[in-house]
Amino acid sequence: MSGKTHQYAFFLGCIAPNRYPGIEAAAIKTSKNLGIELLPLKGASCCPAPGAFGSIDLSVWMSMAARNLVLAEQMNMDIALICNGCYKSIWEVNHKLKHHDELRDRVNEVLKEIDMEFKGTIDVRHLAEIIYDENICGVAKLADSVTTPLTGVKIAIHYGCHLLKPRKEREFDAEGVGETENPMWMEELIAALGAEPVQYRQKMQCCGAGGGVRGYDIAHALDITNEKLINMSEVGADAITEVCPFCQLQFDRGQIEIGEKFGVKWAIPVLHFNELLGLAQGMSPQDLALDLHGISCEPFLNKLQ
Amino acid sequence: MVDETQSQKPRIGVYICHCGTNIAGSIDIKELQEYTLTIPDVVVADEYQYVCSTPGQNMIEEAIKEHNLTALVVAACSPRLHEPTFRRASKEGGMNQFRFEMANIREQNSWVHMHDREGATEKAKDAVRMAVAKARLLEDLHPKSVPVEHAAMVVGAGIAGIQAALDLASSGIKTYLIEKAPTIGGRMSQLDKTFPTLDCSQCILTPKMVDVDRHENIELMTYTEVESVEGYIGNFDVTLRKKANGVLTMEQAEARGFVGGGCNGCGDCEPVCPVIKPNPFEMDMAPRKAIYIYHPQVVPLLYTIDFDSCVKCGLCEEICGDKKAIDLEMQDEFIKVKVGTAVLAVGYELFPIEKKTEWGYKRYDNVITSLEFERLICASGPTGGKVIRPSDGETPKKIGFVLCAGSRDNTGIGKPYCSRFCCMYSLKHAHQIYEKIPDAQSYLFYMDIRSFGKMYEEFYYRIQDEGAKFIRGRVAKIEEDPGTKNLYVITEDTLLGQPVNIEVDLVVLASAVQPTEETDHVRNLFGVSCSGDGWLNEAHPKLNPCGTTTAGVFLAGVCQGPKDIPDAVAQAEGAAAAASIPIHVGEVELEPYFAICNEEKCAGCGMCIDLCPYAALDLVEKEGRTVMEVTEAKCKGCGTCGGFCPGGAIWMQHFSTPQIIAQIDAFLLGGEQ
Repeated sequence: MSGKTHQYAFFLGCIAPNRYPGIEAAAIKTSKNLGIELLPLKGASCCPAPGAFGSIDLSVWMSMAARNLVLAEQMNMDIALICNGCYKSIWEVNHKLKHHDELRDRVNEVLKEIDMEFKGTIDVRHLAEIIYDENICGVAKLADSVTTPLTGVKIAIHYGCHLLKPRKEREFDAEGVGETENPMWMEELIAALGAEPVQYRQKMQCCGAGGGVRGYDIAHALDITNEKLINMSEVGADAITEVCPFCQLQFDRGQIEIGEKFGVKWAIPVLHFNELLGLAQGMSPQDLALDLHGISCEPFLNKLQ
Repeated sequence: MVDETQSQKPRIGVYICHCGTNIAGSIDIKELQEYTLTIPDVVVADEYQYVCSTPGQNMIEEAIKEHNLTALVVAACSPRLHEPTFRRASKEGGMNQFRFEMANIREQNSWVHMHDREGATEKAKDAVRMAVAKARLLEDLHPKSVPVEHAAMVVGAGIAGIQAALDLASSGIKTYLIEKAPTIGGRMSQLDKTFPTLDCSQCILTPKMVDVDRHENIELMTYTEVESVEGYIGNFDVTLRKKANGVLTMEQAEARGFVGGGCNGCGDCEPVCPVIKPNPFEMDMAPRKAIYIYHPQVVPLLYTIDFDSCVKCGLCEEICGDKKAIDLEMQDEFIKVKVGTAVLAVGYELFPIEKKTEWGYKRYDNVITSLEFERLICASGPTGGKVIRPSDGETPKKIGFVLCAGSRDNTGIGKPYCSRFCCMYSLKHAHQIYEKIPDAQSYLFYMDIRSFGKMYEEFYYRIQDEGAKFIRGRVAKIEEDPGTKNLYVITEDTLLGQPVNIEVDLVVLASAVQPTEETDHVRNLFGVSCSGDGWLNEAHPKLNPCGTTTAGVFLAGVCQGPKDIPDAVAQAEGAAAAASIPIHVGEVELEPYFAICNEEKCAGCGMCIDLCPYAALDLVEKEGRTVMEVTEAKCKGCGTCGGFCPGGAIWMQHFSTPQIIAQIDAFLLGGEQ
């Protein structure tokens, strides 16, 4: 493998820097060990949230996302991001505007007011997908970067909806990440960190938060989350991992809210894939700001052998 | 080519049909008639309510005689409907029948321009003017007759092929029945029972299989594939590959001097064979050896060695002993046969339903296909007729049947068409569950129940009364409980408007059907076209459902499109009857639409040879020059070669370049020719 560094414009999103800053820190620090350099995308706004904006005003949603894309076009770099919600907005708007002249003209009409123009010169990828890509990093190189393997723990993986679906619109099949009904590539990533990925019922079910459900009907959202937690606990998961800070928020804060609303007590630690990678590469829980999580990560950290 | 009658000044008669109001409703017939009379060389132009009627035809016949016509134009419907009618009338009137031209002013005009009378009338004038332009240049042509070989071939020995072969043979025709598998019977022999009568499938099929084996006019060739096909209707030269099966029949043994030897089906060889492979007849749910028969009722009763897995240890040879039936060095054999007509009955296979990943076939142990269910519930199947959950061998108590699995699917993954027999066999499956596991509950997840056949709807009511539950909704996904291996079927009950999530022990997917891999290969050998989804094309969907556009080649069974057993058998009988006609007549008349090579102009470049879709052209040496030669009986007159020939050396009879140019000129130049 060549020592070439792959550079990306790093789109942070909102939830990671504001609620779980450890994800941001881990993403930047761990990527360096994998030949990936994440450069700040200066001036970026909210992606904007696909459920909240996309379902109310498509024009605003596309224009704001396009502005973020243009910033990366100006850097002449592909975007890397760490959140499925951001992926839905930025990837999908990029894809739509590249393929539909009419939409692109409409958005460029808006962008003209701030002297910007969407040209369609870059691609958008999720950092997890970049890490899995053999041409950039790959599972073997990921495993090589591990200094303190996460042995002795069972991890339930939640892929999240917006990354893989709708199947027709995503290009995952073409890129070799595999099918969308029972993907297994994140299992490979987790196994590379030394942990044991576990299979559970309804693996591909939503976390409950997305699509504006959390904002619209929190009880309904938590009901879905509760079902997922039941299915994960049935197979003895020591922690939950995902690649989406919004899913993380739902599982993490959600367990507390489920306790308050339904009286069901849960305490399964929830860690973003990049946080797990940080631990495996020797970052300390303090560096990863794990103390900011709603559910304590202590039992998980203690179980690591 | 250009004949002397051409020098005679054209005298053309034009007849315009009202077709009731079909044409007259949108086209001004009077105006069209008046216009027609102004076209040069038109000596008579008349109109009539129904030109195809007997008085209409008489009118034409008399006009030909009275006006001494050199050509006739009828402006009416599509030539696909009445061209033969008017050709006959032309002949009756004493004119060569190929001096007739039809202008289509119905399908291509009045029906599509119903609300534009003025435009339609102008377009009709164009069509008539163009037809007259071609009619001026029409020539006398004479159909050719070729003798027909008194033999037929049926490819595929499932129920459709078996029925077609029995009918052909029983009408006195020598029939070659070709089957690629070691036994005949096809899909039907894998089924347990048939709907709606619940006959045992094998019980009604095996008598026919035995008839095939014993019929004096049938030459059954199993483990055999079609290698190549040459020739044309009446004279197909077919090369067959008889795959090496390593086992001699009694006749083969006798020919080698082992009188009384050869395979008698005793089966002694099977237990000693050390190689174990999955048995495709049991949908790979049971083992077979490298030397095997599919099941005890095979026809012919002859063991087969699968040389792909045989290790040639010789144990079978040893135990076979004096019968000397085993030949481990056997090679494929090529056999040439000549037949007059052929029936293709190459069947179907299941759509690979694992592509619909949301249902988890091949990922969840307890999700099976309908054909696997047939084998599980069949008394001669791998479990002796006991339905079990593959994960633990337990008897399922709640069984979900997913209908339209991959059928009527517009996602681009499944098939857009209805597979036509899945509704009915799923009802049958629900009944069989009720019979064998009385305390079990069946759930049928369906879009519509299509119970269209005789006694089918009544069967549907019966299954409802037996307690099967019907849930109308497409199954969104199936989830497995990793502990119990039970399945959760998640859908919306669209009658209640509610999401449902039902836990079951076993799911049976009524998978769509699709053409087999070999279908495409076989159809290319015989020059048969297929639709976008791969099913073979009949010559006409309503009026010629057994024929194909290749003369002498006919279709039977599911290879033409999904159909149940009654329909497959009916079509097979139709195909056999159609295929026997040219053979019994003894000769076929070929339309004289073939290409003619002008050898003086032909440079022998050979570019036309590869272009010809019917392999009708060859390069030959003539007087020291290489020139192209047409096999007239093979040529369909498609014009591909004529349009391409760089030297303009190919003359298309009845569609010659001057005739087509004259039509184009007549259109582009309007009346100003």
